[in-house]
Amino acid sequence: MIEAIALTRKFSEFIAVDRLSFQVRPGEIYGLLGPNGSGKTTTMRMLLGLLKPTMGTARINGFDVLENTVEAKRFIGFVPEEAVLPDRLTGWEYINYVGDIWRVPRGSERDEEIDELLTLLDIKDASDDLIETYSKGMARKIGIVAALIHTPKVLILDEVQAGIDPRGAATIKEILIGLRDRGTTILMSTHVLEIAERMCDRIGIIDKGKMIAEGTMAELRLKAKGQQSLEDIFLDLTGGPDMQRIAAFLGEDS
Amino acid sequence: MIEDLLILLKHDLTGTVRIRNVKGKRSEQRSAWRRYSRYFAAIAVAIVILLGILFMSDLLGWEFFQAVLIDNIEFGSTIFNFIIIMSFMGSIAISVTTVGNSSRMEYLMTMPITLKTLFLEKTIVIIFYNAMLYLVIGTPIIIGFALASGSSIALFSIPIFIIMLLANVTLGVSLGGLIGLAIARFLAGRRRLKQVGWFLGTTVAILFSTFYYFSLFTSEDGFGQIFSVIFDFARMLGLSSDFSPGGAMNAVSLRLIVGLPIHMTDILLAILFLIIPAFFIYANAHFSEAAHYSGWLASGSKRSSKEDIRIAHTTWNPSTLPLIKMSTTTSVSMWYNTASVRREGRVLANYLVGPLRMVLFLFLFLLTPGGDIAGFAPFIIISAMIPFAVSYGVYFAGYELVYEGKNLMNLQLAPASLSDYVKGKVFSAVPFTLIAITIASVLVIIVEPTLWIYIPAVMISSIFLTLASGGIASYSAATGGDFKAERNISRQRGSAVQMPIRSMWSMARAFLLPNILGFAGLGSMLAVGIFIGPIYTYLAVPLFALICIQIMRYYTGKTGRKLQTIEATEYM
Ligand SMILES: Nc1ncnc2c1ncn2[C@@H]1O[C@H](COP(=O)(O)OP(=O)(O)OP(=O)(O)O)[C@@H](O)[C@H]1O
Ligand SMILES: [Mg+2]
Repeated sequence: MIEAIALTRKFSEFIAVDRLSFQVRPGEIYGLLGPNGSGKTTTMRMLLGLLKPTMGTARINGFDVLENTVEAKRFIGFVPEEAVLPDRLTGWEYINYVGDIWRVPRGSERDEEIDELLTLLDIKDASDDLIETYSKGMARKIGIVAALIHTPKVLILDEVQAGIDPRGAATIKEILIGLRDRGTTILMSTHVLEIAERMCDRIGIIDKGKMIAEGTMAELRLKAKGQQSLEDIFLDLTGGPDMQRIAAFLGEDS
Repeated sequence: MIEDLLILLKHDLTGTVRIRNVKGKRSEQRSAWRRYSRYFAAIAVAIVILLGILFMSDLLGWEFFQAVLIDNIEFGSTIFNFIIIMSFMGSIAISVTTVGNSSRMEYLMTMPITLKTLFLEKTIVIIFYNAMLYLVIGTPIIIGFALASGSSIALFSIPIFIIMLLANVTLGVSLGGLIGLAIARFLAGRRRLKQVGWFLGTTVAILFSTFYYFSLFTSEDGFGQIFSVIFDFARMLGLSSDFSPGGAMNAVSLRLIVGLPIHMTDILLAILFLIIPAFFIYANAHFSEAAHYSGWLASGSKRSSKEDIRIAHTTWNPSTLPLIKMSTTTSVSMWYNTASVRREGRVLANYLVGPLRMVLFLFLFLLTPGGDIAGFAPFIIISAMIPFAVSYGVYFAGYELVYEGKNLMNLQLAPASLSDYVKGKVFSAVPFTLIAITIASVLVIIVEPTLWIYIPAVMISSIFLTLASGGIASYSAATGGDFKAERNISRQRGSAVQMPIRSMWSMARAFLLPNILGFAGLGSMLAVGIFIGPIYTYLAVPLFALICIQIMRYYTGKTGRKLQTIEATEYM
């Protein structure tokens, strides 16, 4: 269970997240959508205790992330937007590092589980290479395996499918849906509205740090006066491309 | 917490001290020689030292050694204190750097461990790096003496030495870290004060610690007035050493070897100096955590000021100044380099004050024997300008080139000459050399007014020396630099534990070559002036300048060509 209660974060004078409140319940996939710079990553960082909210509270399974940081983090598997992993370790070593920290018992069971996940995501053959040799998508896949290896009750995923090949993305989708059905709480952000539409049970759209719409797909459709696809709803709420300026720009060039 | 700490340490070290090659096909397979050479070198050094001591004591007899050691027993304190001061001076920005760059450790920060544990682990790794050299050299010396003495009690001094050494390095590093955090706390939110504040804070910390050391070194008389209270107190307690961690270490290790009596108070003091570092390293972790959460370390670029300041995007263009001909690339690079160093106050302070450490210790060892070389003092001050001129070249052109990191790609793609770009970095060091040398010149004139006649010559030569040094350093950076340094906590800007230039040979060339050039050049110019006539010094200046310029041009040209060929995998 993830609870954001009036989360607010200011960077100097700039309000990046503005009194954001929402809940993600166990067995639910919640999609956080919003234009670039709307505050999705900042919100997730506050939920993880990486950033201190200027105001408001974040709770994970009842634990306040600032007061009971360690207990709260124990539940969470996190895949960051831009994976900065220890370059000088191999993928396999890094996953085991995470396993050790979360006290997943060492042994053949853990090794098999890691192997299985690596195989599922097609990076088994690279797992004995140094992370610095990985491509962007490969590093991200290692990050995903590391986040799943300690069977977290709460998953926080920041644009997890970005840069992942179609097969990988489909695999991740199936895994997430399976985990949800087994009761995992999942919060994910994405710019691919199709993914959000197909995977998420509920969706929150934020703009300039504020929640501007929230609900299931059906509820959002109602709110956006009959727009059908999520893309139309999204563009309707946050504004679409400025066709006049585009035309002007293209005109200048020729 | 301890278990978490051990897990962190274990996995952190897996990456750094990897002995076996990794199995993957993509990763570089390093030859056995490259994997083992550092360890072999360390072991070889240790064995040579050990055997040397055993051989000498066989030859001269232990009694001789014992007499010499007893006569100079205080020298042990001096060396041990030196180690602490060196660890301290190199660590002033350590914690601030670690906390400030914590976004690069996001994967660690999301782990269910307290940040205190995390920062503690990083500090321990830094202590490990700091202590390595002293352990490799010191342990065989102690083992050698202990074995040579033939007394079994003396063998206890070996573990005592290792534990006390680690404790003392811990003391130096964590104290440095704490002072850096204190400076950062004080400067939080004061944008305008940042640069000056870091500069003053670092300088004061270094000067103060040097004076403390100096007063220990010269013990009772002279300089140590400020600390005489501490010494009196120590004597009152009945300590056989002075009241310093190095003294305490000496009292329970070296004295044990040579069989001098050890008082109960010495032991108590040694225990005290085991407890204090433990307390400090914990405090350092505690305040690092506080610093992370409170956000007062947010780096300058991410804080905006209260008033709305319109940023004018102009670049300073020195090529409009008379006599200076410079391409746009060079002047842009010069501006960019200065701006990027200045942005982080602690980095600037570290660069500016860095050579001071070297110079102060040069002074200490030259000046302490007594007043007999007092006449040379001005020359020593003049020679102190050389490390400044050289280091600024190395920092601004060498280190900063490495810290370009990923930006190298933009440079390689830009339609501009990389040699010109490198020249800009070299030139950006000149104003700083000028400031340092002006200060030193004032000192020289105060100490020995008659030397004024050489000052202009020295100033001009130092500036050209900076150019030569920058050129050489840029080439060292291009050939031996670790272009991923910014991603490695212990190699980052201002961290001073591991240098961004990885290859030993490149590092040696960057520092030795220009220092030799400087000491030989300035030395002979001054000698000519004093023995034949000042006019000859001035005749030599153009020659020296020309040599320096040629060196710079030769090396920046080579650097430019080398940079063009660096592959993306080295910096991405
Ligand atoms: N450390 C920081 N200092 C200052 N401003 C910041 C900082 N981190 C984020 N911001 C600002 O906060 C706002 C929200 O950023 P955030 O990264 O949360 O956006 P996002 O919704 O994740 O965007 P994207 O879709 O591009 O990932 C942005 O305007 C950003 O500039
Ligand atoms: Mg984001």
